[in-house]
Amino acid sequence: MSIPPDVLLGEPLAADPTPDPPSGASGGASRAGALWFYARKLLAAVVSFFITLVIGFVLFQLMPADPVRALTQGRPTSAAQMQALRDSLGLDKPLWQRFASFVGDTLHGRLGFSWQFQEPVASLVGSHLWPTVLLMGVSTVISVSLGLWLGIRSGWRQGSVFDRISSGVSLTLWSVPTFWLGLLLLVAFSVGFGPIPSLFPADGMSDPSIAAAGWPHVVDVARHLVLPVATLVLGDYALYVSIMRSSLIDEMDSPYLLTARAKGLFDSDVRRKHAVPNALLPAVTVIFLQIGGIIGGAVTVETVYSWPGLGYLTYQALKVPDLPLLQGTFIIFSASVIIMNLAADVLYRFLDPRVRAQ
Amino acid sequence: MRVGTVRHDPRGPGRVRRLVAVALGGALLVAAAVGLGTGPASAAASDTNLTVTMDGSGIDTLNPFLSFYNGALNTFGLIYPSLNSLGKDGVPGPYLAKSWTTSDDKLTWTFTVQDGLKWSDGQPITAEDAAWTFNLIMTNLTAATANGSLVANFASVTAPDATTLVVKTKQPQANMLYVSIPVSGIPIVPKHVWSAHVADLKSYKNETYPVVGYGPWLLQTYQTDQFERFTANKAFRLGSSGAPKFDTLVVQLLKNSDASVAALKNGQVADTSVNAKQFDVLKADTKMTAVQEVGNGWTGLEINGGARTKSGKAIGTGNPLLGDPQVRSAIHWAIDKNKLLTNVLGGKGVVGNGYLPPAYPQWSWKPAAADAVTYDPAKANSILDAAGYTKGADGIRVDPRTGKKLDFRLGIHSDSASDAQISQFLKGWLTDIGISIRIDSLSFAQLNSNLSRADWDMLMDAWTTGPDPTYLLSIQTCGTLPDDTGANGNTDAFYCTPEYDKLFAQQVVTLDATERVKIVAQMQDILYQANYDIILFYGDGLEVYRNDHVSNLLFGPPSSTGLHPAQSVFWNYLDATPPGAASAAPAASSSKTGLVVGGVAVLVVLLAGAFVLRRRSTSDLRG
Repeated sequence: MSIPPDVLLGEPLAADPTPDPPSGASGGASRAGALWFYARKLLAAVVSFFITLVIGFVLFQLMPADPVRALTQGRPTSAAQMQALRDSLGLDKPLWQRFASFVGDTLHGRLGFSWQFQEPVASLVGSHLWPTVLLMGVSTVISVSLGLWLGIRSGWRQGSVFDRISSGVSLTLWSVPTFWLGLLLLVAFSVGFGPIPSLFPADGMSDPSIAAAGWPHVVDVARHLVLPVATLVLGDYALYVSIMRSSLIDEMDSPYLLTARAKGLFDSDVRRKHAVPNALLPAVTVIFLQIGGIIGGAVTVETVYSWPGLGYLTYQALKVPDLPLLQGTFIIFSASVIIMNLAADVLYRFLDPRVRAQ
Repeated sequence: MRVGTVRHDPRGPGRVRRLVAVALGGALLVAAAVGLGTGPASAAASDTNLTVTMDGSGIDTLNPFLSFYNGALNTFGLIYPSLNSLGKDGVPGPYLAKSWTTSDDKLTWTFTVQDGLKWSDGQPITAEDAAWTFNLIMTNLTAATANGSLVANFASVTAPDATTLVVKTKQPQANMLYVSIPVSGIPIVPKHVWSAHVADLKSYKNETYPVVGYGPWLLQTYQTDQFERFTANKAFRLGSSGAPKFDTLVVQLLKNSDASVAALKNGQVADTSVNAKQFDVLKADTKMTAVQEVGNGWTGLEINGGARTKSGKAIGTGNPLLGDPQVRSAIHWAIDKNKLLTNVLGGKGVVGNGYLPPAYPQWSWKPAAADAVTYDPAKANSILDAAGYTKGADGIRVDPRTGKKLDFRLGIHSDSASDAQISQFLKGWLTDIGISIRIDSLSFAQLNSNLSRADWDMLMDAWTTGPDPTYLLSIQTCGTLPDDTGANGNTDAFYCTPEYDKLFAQQVVTLDATERVKIVAQMQDILYQANYDIILFYGDGLEVYRNDHVSNLLFGPPSSTGLHPAQSVFWNYLDATPPGAASAAPAASSSKTGLVVGGVAVLVVLLAGAFVLRRRSTSDLRG
């Protein structure tokens, strides 16, 4: 999931406006305040999840949903067979009944049965989860590290040649459509051009000729990861550069930095120990939102590089449309984002004393 | 604005060195990954391997009773036997059945099954396996999911002994020899394996490897959404064909055509299907062979000439003006199919006429010269003039009876570039004859939904067919119209005439091949005149393979126009042979790759060293 930088620039996760119960000097009152804070956040997350479930269900019901023609792929199928298929998919049941079974199944941890793959959605999600987490996890770690590092350097030396080049390059790459960038990298480094031969594979996650175990398999998967990860990193790291840079620039005029310098600290220590921790807060929000979106995968990159992940699975579900699979993946994606938002809220309490003081 | 006096940390270069070391380590790891991974397939073993791309639809399930997707159907064709084969000429031949006879009343078919064949686990293959497979589909609703309609006319199937299979039908069945053929027919499964899974047939995934079967190939593994790996069945025999010539076969799922071409160019796959632009580029590559195959499908314009239910009740929101045969005829005369073929397919196809594509020549039909509709806007205009449709001030014709304009919706597939191109041409041509078009770009699901409810005027449509045209012909019959609730329909364009239905019923029971072809030709003539489906073109199949990876992949010979016959993965992978002495190319590529990787690594080391030295030399100035 990508978030436009201008949406998030310099805006730390808003503290809940509802005032906490008055905190006394005693440790007990403080603990009660903390518990109240966590309980409210948890409740809000649960409510968000249920609202998301309802919205998701309604949205999917609005889609044209006679998937039988798409499912049968033009194979010889009589009208009676098609009707039997519709009956078996539960398409003729009233809407309220479908909603009740959807909510009931979700509460019991069942995600339904995919129409096209004729397999439980949970099992499909399970088999596609690991590739997506690997791809998105690696790319997010690199994007965050690279973006924050460049953002700190650029912000600290605002207007320098380094800043101008770093910001220009990152924003240019941010503006490039991911699909197109992926195809360019594919052509350049998989097919090869000029004197550069084919360096990386064009597709998939592993080579069929290499056993799926041991060091050779790790190296093989790493080779297949390089191009999709590079595409995602080049497309996404600008987000962190922008946030970190602008956040650090906001801190530059702060009196506490003057104090730090007056104490005789090295410039790098002023930056590392004083400016960056304060400037990091908005970035934390974005990082956690990104981690929440990791599960959702990257449809375009997974499609360009034939990566067998959840993003492509969702695309396949949309084409039919395979409603149980769509709803199942929607639940997983929503839960993931909500949980990570909750984690960001909780972490903020540790990172920012102002939140604790509220 | 910077405040305070700035002091620089003299430890800085140390951290820089650490960073440089990390970066260097990363670069070398990547270089190692590239280097270690270079050419694994070529270095793997002495076994010969053929790697090809999977059909784009992929695999829905490996359970042959439930599967509809082409990737899976191709797999079943490779690993399970069928009663008949389909020859390279498109005509059914022997496979499990070595011969067959029909009774005088044409209701009983007796097949003699080959003796001595064995499943991959050593169990004998008998007629009972075939009888059990057919009976399961006939009696079990779940087992009938994918192939139920193919046995709908079967009365009984028995195996009186190990080599005799008797099929009794309710009425004569002309397409009996197409019911169980590789890929498009029913695969025969081993009873001793599948009888244990009848109870859980709906959830059985058939992923116990190696899958027990009998075909040219044995499925050793399927990595979901990635690849299948097969080994050759060395015991396979079919007529003069022996076992596959390659030791292993890998079928890879590539999710877009650019990735397929990239994989072909870098030698990851030996063969792939391509689009017209890719075909033209790859054709010039001397390492490749680019082949055009006669098309097994058509692209057409579907016209709603007055949607009705089975009882004759009007349904949907189709514009009634399209119910006038003159309007539909004028639309046909206004379309320049040659121009579409040139501009949309780059000329790689054949202008459309008959309802059945040219891949199976026995069914191919063309109108008589006097009946042929060609591009003639003047004639189209004169037809509409004669029918009384007069042009208004805006150039759009008006129906004098209702006062309504000839203004129609055209639904196109939003994910189809060719639909988008065609629709723009149609809009221009139809405007020239006073018909306005509103183009609705719709998802596949929405288009199908509109089609079922008859909420459309014109749609872009496309069909492919196997060697037996029964199903494609059936979706133009009255029996496929929906009932009054709008449900239970399976019609293509809401076409329905008693004359066509009569011929359809007749060809189903006509076992004489020549006679059946004549009837099917009459049916195509009726459809051509009706203009419910205007066939625009039949696109060629475009295939490119690497000469240094495979020979004898595609069968031929090409026709006088350079088109190869319609291909079948069954024969393609069975006949394919490893190239003689052409395996030096990948090694050369590997050494070149190694040189470049080594060069990049050395360059990274030199740059990093220079950077550290520079930092050291200027550290005093900086801090």
